[in-house]
Amino acid sequence: MSEMKKIKNLKEFSTSADRFEGANLLCPGCAHSIIVREVLNATNDDLVLSASTGCLEVCTAVYPYTSWDASWIHIGFENGSTAVAGAESMYKALKTKGRLKQPERNPKFVSFAGDGASYDIGFQWISGCMERGHNIMHVVLDNEVYANTGGQRSSSTPIGSSATTSPAGRVSYGEKKNKKDMVSIMASHHIPYAAQVAPNKWKDMVKKIQHGMAVEGPVFINAVSPCTTEWKFDPKDTMMLTDLATDSLVFPLYEIIDGRELNITYRPKNVVPVEEYLAAQGRFKHLFKDEYKYLIKEWQERVDDNWAYLNRREEARV
Amino acid sequence: MAFDKMELRDIEVWDGNFAAAQAMRQCQIDVVAAYPITPSTPIVEGYAKFLADNYVEGEFVMVESEHAAMSGCIGAAAAGGRVATATSSQGFALMVETLYQASGMRLPIVLNVVNRALAAPLNVNGDHSDMYLGRDSGWIQLDSYCPQDAYDLNFIAFKVAEDHDVRLPCMVHQDGFMTSHTAQGVKTLSDDVAYGFVGNYQPMNDMLDFDHPVTHGVQTEEDWHFEHKARQHNDLMTKVIPKIEAAFDAFEKLSGRKYNLVEKYDIEDADVAVVCMGTSVETAREVATEMRAKGIKAGVVGIRVIRPFPFMQVQEALKGLKAIVTLDRSAPGGTVGMLFNEIAGCMYNLDTRPMLSGKIYGLGGRDLTKAHLVELYTELQANVDAGKITTPLQQFIGVRGPKLSFL
Amino acid sequence: MANTGWDEFEIGAMLRSFDGVAATEIATTHQEDRNYSQNSSFSASVADWRIEKPIFAKDYCIDCQFCWIYCPDLSIISRDKKMIGIDMDHCKGCGICVEVCPTNPKSLLMFPEQANEEDEIASWPTKETKEK
Repeated sequence: MSEMKKIKNLKEFSTSADRFEGANLLCPGCAHSIIVREVLNATNDDLVLSASTGCLEVCTAVYPYTSWDASWIHIGFENGSTAVAGAESMYKALKTKGRLKQPERNPKFVSFAGDGASYDIGFQWISGCMERGHNIMHVVLDNEVYANTGGQRSSSTPIGSSATTSPAGRVSYGEKKNKKDMVSIMASHHIPYAAQVAPNKWKDMVKKIQHGMAVEGPVFINAVSPCTTEWKFDPKDTMMLTDLATDSLVFPLYEIIDGRELNITYRPKNVVPVEEYLAAQGRFKHLFKDEYKYLIKEWQERVDDNWAYLNRREEARV
Repeated sequence: MAFDKMELRDIEVWDGNFAAAQAMRQCQIDVVAAYPITPSTPIVEGYAKFLADNYVEGEFVMVESEHAAMSGCIGAAAAGGRVATATSSQGFALMVETLYQASGMRLPIVLNVVNRALAAPLNVNGDHSDMYLGRDSGWIQLDSYCPQDAYDLNFIAFKVAEDHDVRLPCMVHQDGFMTSHTAQGVKTLSDDVAYGFVGNYQPMNDMLDFDHPVTHGVQTEEDWHFEHKARQHNDLMTKVIPKIEAAFDAFEKLSGRKYNLVEKYDIEDADVAVVCMGTSVETAREVATEMRAKGIKAGVVGIRVIRPFPFMQVQEALKGLKAIVTLDRSAPGGTVGMLFNEIAGCMYNLDTRPMLSGKIYGLGGRDLTKAHLVELYTELQANVDAGKITTPLQQFIGVRGPKLSFL
Repeated sequence: MANTGWDEFEIGAMLRSFDGVAATEIATTHQEDRNYSQNSSFSASVADWRIEKPIFAKDYCIDCQFCWIYCPDLSIISRDKKMIGIDMDHCKGCGICVEVCPTNPKSLLMFPEQANEEDEIASWPTKETKEK
């Protein structure tokens, strides 16, 4: 059992040697990269990684360049999770048969995928991996749209968001359906660990990633990834947007242990009104028209309701 | 060794499915990721039972769909070990995208395809529609005509696919129900001899070698894609057939059983021949011998290696004949059958070439009888006697209703 | 890497980030000690993406490492817990580092791409006082 890397503070964390490289094709200001760095830097163990088709994959592995300093595989859109599960199965087989080249090492198997790849087209594949108990971690880079192909709606797209296939228009306010609660769905597989993280709260994220890597069995992590291109804000404001997301409680940070015990892991000192979060993004700007302002009120109610629900679960230890 | 060997009799009574499962056991696969589908299910059931009885080690991952099965196989193959699975029909269709991904990524995986019709309408019986669906997927593809073939060709498949000069996935086809569920006396190899023929898995570009991390499955756009596909095609066209022939030779020395790219039966002085695949090859051979007794110089050409298509070898086998008919066991979807097209392709540029017509037969498990084949050879002889094709170019055999023919 | 022919690369479009063995313990080996291959994007440059660039005024820096962790492009070079500079080959000019810098005045500011580093540092803005 490998020692967990000790990360007391950010200065200590900054001594990490990244295993992800720049000069990739991600948009300036992309949060995917920040999340990937925090995840990979959480451990010194060897890594076997995958990415499903999407921004991360398409921008970091275009021949003849790769931005990955650990073994990495992309097969397709649905099956990044299964790719890494297959690799993990091979690891177990070779371990049993005594054929590992570096048998003393303890690799971590991590798959990255967008919300489109995870919530929609790859849902079954992730569910299968969670059910079968592979020792893998699936990290969703949640930017609430199919960003790589221009911002089409996914089942992660929240109400009122203008996406290209659910655009705001003269008779529409955009997406009509509520966001799918993937963390709960995956936690219902009774996996040892499921959590929601955000790259601004790096310590919370790193702690959760380390716990997920240490625990035996499948882990599901949903990471909010504000997208400067599709959420429509200035690239320099990515961290400001992430702060608004966590501090307005639109993206509450919590964890679920064994599918049966929820802990809230971040309580903002000052809770920010949801309106401020919405106002910072071009994809919601039509909600500020008189005829749609009621949706902002509904947004606040929904967020408050969800926060109350999470608190009840935490209190009841379920 | 932490698992038990099996003492096999010299001849075992096995159906095609169990023969394939036994071959998989003897090859000591590292990861099998599989999903059940008729009629291939007994292969994975057989393998699961071997695992439960400690006759195999390794991981057996019962995934949640066939697409996931091949995805898991790809991940495992890229990680670096021996990988195999089995499927049919709808499952094959579901995993089609991953088939192209596996071959494009140059990963050795063995897929046992128990050929079954594609819906709609739904049908669980044997025909070649799934085989035809995967013809362009970039896999090496071998065809079994009987359970013995299904057993033997699995060893060939692992040996060729894993060769570092090849590194391409390989399918072993067999007819659903007609081979998969029909028992035959199968001559066996012992566990040691079988494994010795295939050998230890030699990793290449393996993700689990942490000192040499690799990136698998990149994107290539208009500036690179053509070169990569060209390379794959080049390797299929130039590297595979010599390796298959060498494996067939080595296998003959080991077992006495000789396989060929093109299985010629009584072709040397034949006037007329049937070209086909699967169980029909054996039926046609019997009928050809009977036709010889009646004075018709009949032969049979079975395609053993479907991909890479043995273009020159098929041409060589057929060019001296006077009339040929191709049997395609797949609904052609508005055109002539695949075998008709491929045979036509390799004969077209010859100075003299045989007359060529085609039949569509046996869809959804409809039987091809000796009577059908007698009629077929008689028709071919009529073409020879008339000096021209006396029938439409495409005819359906064995379907109820008015005679169905086109072109 | 020049556009090579179909016969000049490894099969399967497989890529390696390192020539030969990656550093023995890659997770604890910094970039300057790794033997990157020409296929690692580390060897490439996206400097031409920028229309503005960050300039680092070291005197004001408190080495908090916010810029290091929140730089998407691994362009903040930090060694031994000290911010020592910017990787101008990999910086896309997004401006996040400036936004997250907590010092007053900021230790990082964005300038037009053609700005002269020395001149800008010499005329760095002074501490901002909050209006009562």
